[in-house]
Amino acid sequence: MFLSTLFLGLVLGGTYALLALGLSLQYGIARIMNLAYGEFMLLACFAVTMMFTSWGLGPLWGLLIVVPLGYALGWIIHTVMMRPLIKRSGGGGRLEVDTILATFGLLFVVQGLMLVTFGSDFTSYSYLNQGIGILGTTIAANRLIAFVVSLVIGFGLYAMLIRTRWGRALRAVSLAPDSAYLVGIDVGKLGRQGFALGGALAAAGGALVSMFQTFSATDGVVFTMKALIVVIMGGVGNILGALIAGLLLGLAETFVAAFIDPGLTMAATYTMFLAVLLWRPTGLFGKAGG
Amino acid sequence: MLEIDNLRITYGKHTALGGVGMAVDKGECVVILGANGAGKSSLLKAVGGVVRPASGVISHEGQDLAQVPAHEIVERGIALVPEGRGIFARMSVADNLALGCHPARARGGAEARRREVLELFPRLAERQKQLVGTMSGGEQQMVAIARALMSNPDLLLLDEPSLGLAPIVTKEVFAALGRIRETGLTLLIVEQNVRASLALASRGYLLEAGRVVGSGSAEQLQSDPAVQRAFLGGTSEPLENELN
Repeated sequence: MFLSTLFLGLVLGGTYALLALGLSLQYGIARIMNLAYGEFMLLACFAVTMMFTSWGLGPLWGLLIVVPLGYALGWIIHTVMMRPLIKRSGGGGRLEVDTILATFGLLFVVQGLMLVTFGSDFTSYSYLNQGIGILGTTIAANRLIAFVVSLVIGFGLYAMLIRTRWGRALRAVSLAPDSAYLVGIDVGKLGRQGFALGGALAAAGGALVSMFQTFSATDGVVFTMKALIVVIMGGVGNILGALIAGLLLGLAETFVAAFIDPGLTMAATYTMFLAVLLWRPTGLFGKAGG
Repeated sequence: MLEIDNLRITYGKHTALGGVGMAVDKGECVVILGANGAGKSSLLKAVGGVVRPASGVISHEGQDLAQVPAHEIVERGIALVPEGRGIFARMSVADNLALGCHPARARGGAEARRREVLELFPRLAERQKQLVGTMSGGEQQMVAIARALMSNPDLLLLDEPSLGLAPIVTKEVFAALGRIRETGLTLLIVEQNVRASLALASRGYLLEAGRVVGSGSAEQLQSDPAVQRAFLGGTSEPLENELN
């Protein structure tokens, strides 16, 4: 019981971590709190489901298709919708308020389009649903694959940010945007790339979630809220923090559901969130100051 | 190498620079002197692309810089060490130096340049993994200068490199600048520490209320009554005594 709960918690947490990475990048690098983030995940869920049910294309192949599409969609939204707001803000705090309102509007536009296109029914498909025995417990293969792919993407992203020239430039923009020009970094361009990369991660998260979870066109807000909680718990812009906070949240929810009461999972989530906000407002792994 | 002609900079109704002209030749070390509010930093910011001039010409190697975006200035061979340093405090020394090589012009020969820079600032060689924000003010200034050098510049702009530093650290920073000057790199320095900067520079300009009111060799400026009155407390003792 304990081991299976631990595995389920880690699997769920891995997905939460992946969900949060994109949002963390979009806010940390582009300074845009994207409230429509969950809707973009759902678009990937529906796209991968369609590819699987209509063409028989496995969700991991679907993931390879929706990730570049997510990057492209992020790029287009930043260019068409966010860039005018960035120009108007003049680099001030007005950008955060404007982009929160703009993406709040975008949330309903995308949700409306999904409702018209896919309807309001719950959607799912069956892919590698059989159980696999690990250390005396059984776990669905699709959940295990989603967990492993989430970790590979998460640690791959972390390595990219630490080791590559592009990653270092993205971190520089995230940590000190006002100094980035001194080393020849175009903050506007990197901000756009960071937002697009967040879109690609949202798409990856959507593709993986669709493998084992039922979803509907109105579920985006739940995904966004979970991602937001993980981002704040891990420390805004802190990739490793988001990974660990995601795993912790998944474990907390699963253990509360298994050993206390399934009805208290949301309460456990928000209790952790409130505790972090009260005692560690910069996040479990965040640092004060810039 | 750098020519500035009739440069005007305004902030709303306030005129920071009202028609300034100056030139810096290759290999020179030129200092800009002036009291607070004289327009020294505005001048450096305009050359660094941070501030857009209201009018006038800033020309580097014959190319007009007035409309070049700030992030492209470093690609033209001009590296700025701003007042406040502009370091990436939550990144390591190694990351800050690696970011110095971000411009395309700096990617070739980066490793050799890194070795040279670490020879210039041995203290940084020992602390490459340390977060820059945890270092002393003098060490942070060294990181800022080292990072600028990593971009393979032809012209290094320094805005108040000794600001907020203890005298002994200032001495160390100026000693490093002296060694940089010996390499033949062109330097343009804005500095309140007139003694140290005139000891380093070959020439200088004196700014007052946004205009050039004097210029000449370092020796001429040192004995200029206006400079002595304003900055040197009326003394013209040899500067070496203070630096050594």
